[in-house]
Amino acid sequence: MSNLNINMKNLRRALLSWDTFLLVIILLEVLIFGLINPKFWRIGLLLNSIDDFLIIGVVALSMTFVIITGGIDISAGSMIGLSSVVTGLLWQVYGMNIWLAAFFAILSGILCGMLNGFLVSYLDIQAMVVTLGTSFLFSGIALVLMRFAGVSAYEGISGFPQSFKSLMSGHIIPGLPNSIFILIILVLISLVLLSKSKYGRYVILTGINQNAAIYSGINTRIIKMSAYMLVGMSSAFSGILLSSYLNSSRSDFGAETTLSIITAVVLGGTLITGGKGSVIGTLLATFVLGFMKFGLQMARVPTQYTNIPTGVLLIIASLIGALSGNSYFRSRLKLVFNRPKKSVNNFEKKL
Amino acid sequence: MKKSILFVLVVSLVFSVAVFANGAGDSGKDAADIEVVFIPKLTGNMFFESANVGAQDIAAKVGFTCTYDGSPNASVADQVQIINSAVARGVDAISISSLTPDGLNDALKKAQDNGIKVVTWDSDVDPMYRELYVNQGTPEILGKLLVDMAADQMTDSQKASAKFAFFYSSPTVTDQNAWVEYAKVYIGENYPGWELLTTEYGEQDAQKSFQIGQSILDTYSDLDAILCPDSTALPGMAEAARRANLTKDDIIITGFATPSSMREYLKDNTIEAFGLWDCGLQGAMGAYLAYWLALGNTFSVGDSIDIPGIGSVKVESNDIQGYKNAPKDTGIVLLPERVVFTTANVDDYNF
Repeated sequence: MSNLNINMKNLRRALLSWDTFLLVIILLEVLIFGLINPKFWRIGLLLNSIDDFLIIGVVALSMTFVIITGGIDISAGSMIGLSSVVTGLLWQVYGMNIWLAAFFAILSGILCGMLNGFLVSYLDIQAMVVTLGTSFLFSGIALVLMRFAGVSAYEGISGFPQSFKSLMSGHIIPGLPNSIFILIILVLISLVLLSKSKYGRYVILTGINQNAAIYSGINTRIIKMSAYMLVGMSSAFSGILLSSYLNSSRSDFGAETTLSIITAVVLGGTLITGGKGSVIGTLLATFVLGFMKFGLQMARVPTQYTNIPTGVLLIIASLIGALSGNSYFRSRLKLVFNRPKKSVNNFEKKL
Repeated sequence: MKKSILFVLVVSLVFSVAVFANGAGDSGKDAADIEVVFIPKLTGNMFFESANVGAQDIAAKVGFTCTYDGSPNASVADQVQIINSAVARGVDAISISSLTPDGLNDALKKAQDNGIKVVTWDSDVDPMYRELYVNQGTPEILGKLLVDMAADQMTDSQKASAKFAFFYSSPTVTDQNAWVEYAKVYIGENYPGWELLTTEYGEQDAQKSFQIGQSILDTYSDLDAILCPDSTALPGMAEAARRANLTKDDIIITGFATPSSMREYLKDNTIEAFGLWDCGLQGAMGAYLAYWLALGNTFSVGDSIDIPGIGSVKVESNDIQGYKNAPKDTGIVLLPERVVFTTANVDDYNF
């Protein structure tokens, strides 16, 4: 009997969890947009639409780690552009093999992340300020690199070999876009890293209470720096994916994605103040946002207005988060809901 | 009995012939069935909104559907996503002002493979991936116009040794950089004594353009002329000059912008003249030609196409824009004229 009770409790907790909420929103989106435009229900179209928000998901997964440590990285968009430029330049101007060029691009992303992480964790500068500064720095470097190489930034570099293009446009399994596999692999890696590894526990502990983490013998500086390096690495990977997808490399690629990335992480249930976060939540939120944009476009809503429901969702999410996580709000909530009950009781007593 | 059967047969034959003839006359498609997606570089900008007004007017007049959708932040990835959604929705034609010369190639190819007609306007892509380009003027025409508007205001000594600056949107935009490149060539040939002091970028941001305008005036006090071939940079520059109490006698400011954004600066003598083409006309031509192709019409270079309310336009070869080895079944339609606005004619234009 008590066993059953516990099971019921677990079930209820699972049903009420944030991830379930996000899943319900995704299902609602599919239902509603499908009713407006039945083409939305074509599996092929839905799967292909992942191509358009894959890079947001890729960076958001690692951004989850940074935000769990209590930081933030708003230079991600600039690192995407820089990595795209590095890939293109090494390939075209220096005649390097495209995959080797991509490797160096990843390396450059890790270095950028290292700079961010070093400034944030070793010099104790505000993460927001550091990464705002480096975002200008990185996009500036990308522009300068283009110019030094004699490539006009407005033309960009294009004409990549077919093998590189097929990274995004190809189908390892017929009918399924590669972006799905890329996403699945990265989600598995992030899941293991955050939930199953010692490293993940160190990251979470650093976010909950840095001093306690230090006293438990964790080198929180390296942990924090490594999280920024993860974002650098995945931003660089995104830059490569975007170059492959758009078959060109430009310094302004990815510039507008930063806020969407952070939105996906926060909507996914990761606390912006750090200490708590979920890889699955980030993944689900990426789909919520991606399907929202695609669905609204299918429903002929102009793209400029698709930000409005995203904003509303984020506000609702943070409201619910505040209400459920904050004891002050919870006590206020109880007060609000309990008061009428009491008066009813009193009324009954009088009767 | 036999007679009545014969009668029925003859009547039904006549009816079916009439029905078929009717169908053949409309070539199977009705204006009302055709949807053109009209895509600007970015939304919320006076130039592109005016183009959209032209596009919507002609769509209403002819009777086809014209859907306006664009990126709010001038992002290539956004344009790709809008094209992908249009393909998924199954529209008939796309009319786009491209943010990049090559980044849209794969998305546009996918559209063409799905039988969607592609027309570009304002800013072009590789002729492989579109059928017609509605061109406001070749780089030669517009680069020359830009320089001539400044030179016409100069004294003879200024013409011999003017110090000048370029100020436009960004180093990554296609069309403006092409005009500026040709303007430099033209200056080298005709005004070898001119000296280029700086090139600045306003990123199509009104506030930023104004601030950069101020810093240009502060930093280079000996400038004779500032050339602003961008619809945000020119008003920003003019506003900066007005705040510094400079008039057209102190410094020559000219460039390309909409009359409505520049009218006041003409009237208070901050500037003497500026130029543009009728962007409403360009939008109308872009939308109509996309619709015209979606009807199933074909053309070859040298043909004339009738546009209701605008007149007959001639399809030119891709060579006039400097393309080599462009497909034979594609072409360029030039806007009939460009306008230089002065106090004398600015009130005749309402965009």
